[in-house]
Amino acid sequence: MPKPNYGNRQSTWVKDEYRHDNRDRRVTFKFSHRQGSKKDNVRDWTTAIREHLQDEDVDMGISSTSGRVINNKKFNKKKKGGRKGSPVPVRKLLEGPTGWYRVIIPYGDKFEKTFIIKLLQGKLEPLALWPIAWQTQGTTVTFYVDEYKVAERIHSMDRQIQLPDGFKLLLKVHPGSPNVDMNATTKEKMKLAMAKRYNPNTKALDLTKFHADPDLQDCFCALFKPIVFITIIDIIEENIPELEALNLMDNKITLLSFLKKVSKKMPNLKILHMGNNKIREIQQLDAFEGLPIIDLVLDRNPLCDKFKDQQAYISEVRKRFPKCMKLDGIDLPPPISFDIAEDHQLPNPQQTFLCNAEGGTIVRQFLEQYFLIYDTDNRQPLLQAYHENATFSLTMAYPYGFGKDKNVSWLNWYATDNRNLLRVQDPDRRCKLLKQGHVAVVSFLQEMPKTKHDMHSFTVDLTIFTPQMLCLTVSGMFKELKSGHKFPPLRYFFRTLVIIPAGSGFCIANEVLHITNTTPTQAKDAFKTPPIVAPPPSPVSTGASPGPSTSMAPPAVALDDNMKQEMVNQMSIQSGMNMEWSLKCLQETEWDFQRASLVFQDLHTRGVVPPEAFVK
Amino acid sequence: MDQARAKINDACRVAEEFTKLYYETVDRKRHLISRLYLDTGLLSWNGNGVTGNQNILKFMIDLPTTDHSITTLDAQPILDSAVNGQLSFIIQVSGSVRYQDKPLKTFQQNFVVTAQGDKWKIVSDCFRLQEPLNK
Repeated sequence: MPKPNYGNRQSTWVKDEYRHDNRDRRVTFKFSHRQGSKKDNVRDWTTAIREHLQDEDVDMGISSTSGRVINNKKFNKKKKGGRKGSPVPVRKLLEGPTGWYRVIIPYGDKFEKTFIIKLLQGKLEPLALWPIAWQTQGTTVTFYVDEYKVAERIHSMDRQIQLPDGFKLLLKVHPGSPNVDMNATTKEKMKLAMAKRYNPNTKALDLTKFHADPDLQDCFCALFKPIVFITIIDIIEENIPELEALNLMDNKITLLSFLKKVSKKMPNLKILHMGNNKIREIQQLDAFEGLPIIDLVLDRNPLCDKFKDQQAYISEVRKRFPKCMKLDGIDLPPPISFDIAEDHQLPNPQQTFLCNAEGGTIVRQFLEQYFLIYDTDNRQPLLQAYHENATFSLTMAYPYGFGKDKNVSWLNWYATDNRNLLRVQDPDRRCKLLKQGHVAVVSFLQEMPKTKHDMHSFTVDLTIFTPQMLCLTVSGMFKELKSGHKFPPLRYFFRTLVIIPAGSGFCIANEVLHITNTTPTQAKDAFKTPPIVAPPPSPVSTGASPGPSTSMAPPAVALDDNMKQEMVNQMSIQSGMNMEWSLKCLQETEWDFQRASLVFQDLHTRGVVPPEAFVK
Repeated sequence: MDQARAKINDACRVAEEFTKLYYETVDRKRHLISRLYLDTGLLSWNGNGVTGNQNILKFMIDLPTTDHSITTLDAQPILDSAVNGQLSFIIQVSGSVRYQDKPLKTFQQNFVVTAQGDKWKIVSDCFRLQEPLNK
């Protein structure tokens, strides 16, 4: 048999060979174009869809059809000559700095939340899914996860899960977290969740992985959000300031520096566990400085890796928490301090100091009369109590920690005449604010708000007592009346008086007055008469022995005649009696104005004051 | 009149210099404090009286470390008739003070200072913390 087919075969072979050749070449050049382009078309299509969807994801909310097309085109151009022959590129999820990831499910609204969770959970095993702040907006479902591994797995499951309706589940994952809008409802929810986690017996609050609390799944209560952390500290301050132990483990906390005055808000905090967070610098802990921490856990925070040795780490911690005895569960050696830092106690305060016993009676007399008139509507009689060249000045300030805010009675009235030399630099103004001469002084006193002084609160220091002069310091509380405040403000004054003899009595040569508000602790004792009348202050004098009579009875000699006259005038005005009877009344009550008024009222109501007493 | 004015301005200027020096000494160089008082100077610290600059030094040394910060300052020349023409001023201060590492407290204080040669010396010093007497 000739080989009819040989040639054929040959030809076939040749053909084949040729084709093969060709194909080989084509594989390298032309053919690849056709065949490859077919494949590439498929690939381009899938990547285009992928990127298209990713674009859509990024453009969410503003995307439009035309926008997509443009993006698509742009993308294809960029992609040309890209990975040929390589498998479908699956972009790896980038690890975000906060450790939070946003999962977006386009068209997720078509399914029940429980269905989606069950579906994902099944595929994620053995990892656990804790979707936080689940939200459906339009057709899109969004939630957040706090673990990279989980986020990465979800990311890889994009379009891998067949849904009952025939479509594949789209899953878009990016690093991110939502904006937190803190409102009363959220705060209340947090408060309830915290109450559940608080143990009143041990005064311990466990906020481990707080954002994963089953009761907080619909809001995003992650402590790495400053507003959330601040709200938590506020809730502690408002409800459990006695807190002693706080566990903040596993909360992805990065920053603490935005926290303010933590040591005031939970002053008893001794145990603080903050392990497994994302705190990078030890300086962040400055926010907690001043807390009496004895047990601190910081391990598994990036900051721990920055220390070359344990000693440097301990020293940085002790710098902030000197009493820290346990760090990351390990007992620390007790800190060595210097003997010099022993606790000095302040001497107990004494209500009265008198450098001279004799002076005591004069001072008491003088002050009683002075404030008796001062607390009336008419302070003009005080004219007699001042030297004609007397000088007077006033300063005012708010006590430390109780400044001008809505909780205190403002001292605005006193601001105009505040002669604070730290503020008033101009010599003219300094002179002008110094009231000179008794008329100027008393007319200013008359302008000052009406008062009621609490004599029992007074402290008295007599520091100079010579025949020429006395230097006397009086401080105490008073109520400000009729000054336009909703409640009568409770103030505190501190007065320095230089007193000199005048005639048979005394008068003020210099007065320096400071006015401030009472502190809340002072206010508790205001206008409370002590049950037992305190004995007259025992003089601490060194020289002069007290005279034979140290009784409370005021020697009449200490009273200025002018002042007596003023008291008579006052009595006459108050009672309606004439001068003669007013004088009689005061004499019989040993010039005790208050007693005189009481006696008069008593007799008057009983109708035994003779009518001639009222004849003027 | 001009003389009186000059005296008032002097009192203010001295008060500024004096308080700066006084609180710096108390806070940082307390062992030198006795130099600021007359030998017979007197201190009433929250009602506890101390007479003589050496006793005052002893008393002050025993107090915890302090950090004063003043909020208001006021000063007046004392009337001549009270001091027989001996140039003397009254200085009054309010502010806050920290003892050791304790919380800040509000205080008020006054001084009577007098010229002795070319130096100002404290005749009397009265210090009060603004807090309840019975705690």
